[in-house]
Amino acid sequence: MTEKVEYWVKIPFGPIHPGLEEPEKFILTLDGERIVDVDVKLGYNLRGIQWIALRRNYIQIMYLAERMCGICSFSHNHTYTRAVEEAGGIEVPERAEYIRVIIGELERIHSHLLNLGVLAHDIGYDTLLHLTWLAREKVMDTLEAVSGNRVNYSMVTIGGVRRDIDEKKRKIILDMIKYYHEVFPQIEEAFLHDPTIEARFRDTAVISKRVALEQGAVGPTGRGSGIRDDARWSERLGVYPDLGIKPVMPQDVTGERPRGDVFDRMAVRIGELWESLELIEHALDGMPDGKIKAFPKDNVLYAKLRLMVDGEGIGRYEAPRGELVHYVRGKKGSDKPLRWKPREPTFPNLFSVAKGVIGDQVADFVVAVASIDPCLSCTDRVAVIQDGKKKILTEKDLLKESIRKTREINPDIKGDPTPVGSSCSR
Amino acid sequence: MDAVTGLVYPVAGLLGLYAFVSLASLVWEGIDRKLVARMQRRIGPPILQPLYDFLKLSSKETIIPSTANYMFRAAPVLALATAIALLAYTPVGFTPILASKGDVIVFIYLLTLISFFKMLGAISSGNPYAKIGAAREATVMVSREPAMMLAIFTIMWRIGKLGVPKPFSMGVFYVHNIWEIGTPMSFVGAVILLYVFCVWLASEIEVGFFNIPDAEEEIAEGLLVEYSGRYLALLKLTNAMKAFISASLVVAIFFPWGISGYFNLTGLSANVADLLFHTLKVFALLFVVQSVFRAVTGRLKITQAVDFLWKNVFLASLVGSLLIAMEVIM
Repeated sequence: MTEKVEYWVKIPFGPIHPGLEEPEKFILTLDGERIVDVDVKLGYNLRGIQWIALRRNYIQIMYLAERMCGICSFSHNHTYTRAVEEAGGIEVPERAEYIRVIIGELERIHSHLLNLGVLAHDIGYDTLLHLTWLAREKVMDTLEAVSGNRVNYSMVTIGGVRRDIDEKKRKIILDMIKYYHEVFPQIEEAFLHDPTIEARFRDTAVISKRVALEQGAVGPTGRGSGIRDDARWSERLGVYPDLGIKPVMPQDVTGERPRGDVFDRMAVRIGELWESLELIEHALDGMPDGKIKAFPKDNVLYAKLRLMVDGEGIGRYEAPRGELVHYVRGKKGSDKPLRWKPREPTFPNLFSVAKGVIGDQVADFVVAVASIDPCLSCTDRVAVIQDGKKKILTEKDLLKESIRKTREINPDIKGDPTPVGSSCSR
Repeated sequence: MDAVTGLVYPVAGLLGLYAFVSLASLVWEGIDRKLVARMQRRIGPPILQPLYDFLKLSSKETIIPSTANYMFRAAPVLALATAIALLAYTPVGFTPILASKGDVIVFIYLLTLISFFKMLGAISSGNPYAKIGAAREATVMVSREPAMMLAIFTIMWRIGKLGVPKPFSMGVFYVHNIWEIGTPMSFVGAVILLYVFCVWLASEIEVGFFNIPDAEEEIAEGLLVEYSGRYLALLKLTNAMKAFISASLVVAIFFPWGISGYFNLTGLSANVADLLFHTLKVFALLFVVQSVFRAVTGRLKITQAVDFLWKNVFLASLVGSLLIAMEVIM
């Protein structure tokens, strides 16, 4: 009997790799092109957010939560405010809930379009990447026109929202919906019926329903594997039940049983794009008049929170990547929380996909990681080299540029955009 | 006198051809990037960007990994030298400089030697990604070449039957071309072989489906991962020249017509006119096979690519060759 010798090699994949968007490291054990084992190493992007938060009060943490991630900034902020509202027993006006729905769904559209582009890029299909991201510009411009910022919208505050959606903003959003009714069929056609996409994404990185349940996969990753769960639907969150929310499953989009592969996760995202458009339309139609904040001023809010928050609160929300949970515990008389713990959907999804990719090829790995849409961190400075001179744009310059762009889109905007004080020293 | 015609003219011609082809192939790469950028609704780099890249890379520091051995340095130089030698056997609008009986074997040999040197350099770098890239390159190479070899030998043999002075030479395409065989069956066969050669060309220059050995997002540029500075510049130039040479082969087989006959040119001016016209044809072919193909497709997995090359392309090559050879065999 001849002895079979196996030549297994271990190669590092990351922390810096052209296929990964954020620093994360995997150690792949390979048998030729086949992946035998995946070891996930995390912690390359640790910024000590919770430590920072313990030195800030409830209102300052909102800004911090918003800056945890560039793509789901609204989700973090929203979930944190929900947790504090639960801990303090604060009632949110109904109109504010509708505005939260609209901003949340706008964010979902931009996040899903971004992920679809990244998926196409990872198989070398750059045309789709550029065209998808071109379509994404519309929703980014809409978000800027509505909230004043492309990325960190600062729309939510504890007990309501900061800005109202008036007739003019409503018209901008309706314009966007009209634009996407023309563009989404093209995107759907390109992603669901392209032979290259089908060859690469079908039966790649299959996460079976059992593995998904064991690892606690959430969001499009869980739904792609056949778990009917959506925090907006199962939690009956805010006004979502009135708007007719229901979880998008792969069979609604592809018409086949869910297989739990990359294609199904992508199909769920495409289905959610359509659902988000519908939700925004319904929310714009059914938005009641009334207050948008429980407390009109931030100083009132600050004083009230000191007295009202006692005990613990949990906020849950379906972020574009899956269910996001924030836990807040406070004590009466203190303006700081005793404990604040966010739990992000990428964490369980990453481990389930690491299990799912075993047995596939090296070529599938980067697609598999991108298919769960791992989070990106945003940077706070940019180096511009122009005419041979290097200029580093600091926070102030970037702020000035963004104010200029906002004025360009919306010339008669009111309010003074210059920052007040220096609460956050870097 | 004999030494001049036998040695000086070919060497001068080869040097001139090398200067022209290296420039033209780099310019084509710029045009390709610009065209693809326009298809993707981007603005794209300037047309001379690959040339600027080449000049800049040549002046940059070259980093040699500590795990590399001497083949790592030798491979880019050998690859470029092979590409230059290959030019002497490439039909570029006129009979190749060193055309002789049976030189098609030298042509195929040198063309695969370029890939071979690239693989050798990558393996010698000691980088695991480069090794994966080299393994992929070898797998694709053994899958793509048989279809091309079968087709080219059949075509040459069939054209040889029409009567040519030097059979199995790269010059035969300028004596008789594939469309002159004349029977309807051979016409169908020629169209099928055109498809075979287009796929072969795409896999030779590694675009679209076949961007597997250099997959940037998967294995970080694979074969080129450890190369930098001057060696990277040499490899980039080699790749660009290889694209031009491979496309020249396809153009010579299927579209060999020159324009010098229409203007009654002779001697050197006829060669220059034909070379320029040939370059235009190469650009047109590469536009379809490279620019359009890579704009409308993504990369396949290595197993799918090998399946495609054997089950689809090799089969098509077999059918096309049989159709062309049919009436001589029967």
